[in-house]
Amino acid sequence: MADNASWITPAAAIAESFPDGFSELRPCAQVNLRGDIADLAFTDAVKSVTGLTLPDMPNKVATGKDFKALWLSPDEWLLVGEGDAEALVQSLEDALAGQHVAVNDVSANRTIFELSGPHSHHALMKSSEYDFHPRVFAPGDCVQTLIAKSQAIVEQVGENMFHIYVRSSFSRYVGGWLAEALAEYNEAP
Amino acid sequence: MLNIDCPWCGKRHETEFRYGGEAHIARPEDPAALDDTEWAEFLFMRKNTKGYFAERWLHNNGCRRWFNVIRNTVTHEIVGSYKMGETPPKLPKSAGGAK
Ligand SMILES: [Zn+2]
Repeated sequence: MADNASWITPAAAIAESFPDGFSELRPCAQVNLRGDIADLAFTDAVKSVTGLTLPDMPNKVATGKDFKALWLSPDEWLLVGEGDAEALVQSLEDALAGQHVAVNDVSANRTIFELSGPHSHHALMKSSEYDFHPRVFAPGDCVQTLIAKSQAIVEQVGENMFHIYVRSSFSRYVGGWLAEALAEYNEAP
Repeated sequence: MLNIDCPWCGKRHETEFRYGGEAHIARPEDPAALDDTEWAEFLFMRKNTKGYFAERWLHNNGCRRWFNVIRNTVTHEIVGSYKMGETPPKLPKSAGGAK
């Protein structure tokens, strides 16, 4: 098993200044999976390994036992979980042997920020042109868009909780931006 | 700011996209059979349409798919989006610019 518990990103340098309701999650397993969702051999094999029915609806998240799958494009998903990325890649490769697919461990590509609290969607709306209003964006949705002009994946994991996936090298900038965006709502009235 | 309809993700702001120029330009079947003039014609020469124009867009900050859009180059009106290989939507009768 790859030991990624000690990984740190540039955002670690400013983590102490993060307000309540904003933090960087510890590293987890992220695997990029590509294949043809219309092909039963592909979807069955993925289901047998992960228990997941891959979402074919754009910008939706499917949740399984150990991993969840975020829709990234018509033939691409990001599998995210606490498990072992190398073991997942291996078992997917075994189950998908001979098929026209791609399975890659991208755990180090993006770091994940957790934004929570009653004003979390306000902080996002301030930082993006995408509409994060609750009437548009709800738990179980994910979106790839720009946060403070940086490419990011935003997943709503609960009523007032979001996970924001950003390239590790952008984490200090985006982390600093979101921390600043949230801070005003935490000030005492 | 244009609102562009990605065939997969729906309407998003222009900042999520990259422009890809004129659509429906087929790569020559046998490039080696072309002379320099014909190759340059394929590679560089593009229409400069005033009015409705079929063009390619890439949803580069979203699903990273290429697709086609019919846009009026005078008014910025977007008639519709369609996936690669699909039939373009019908043009409205009241053309905002010269065809
Ligand atoms: Zn898209």
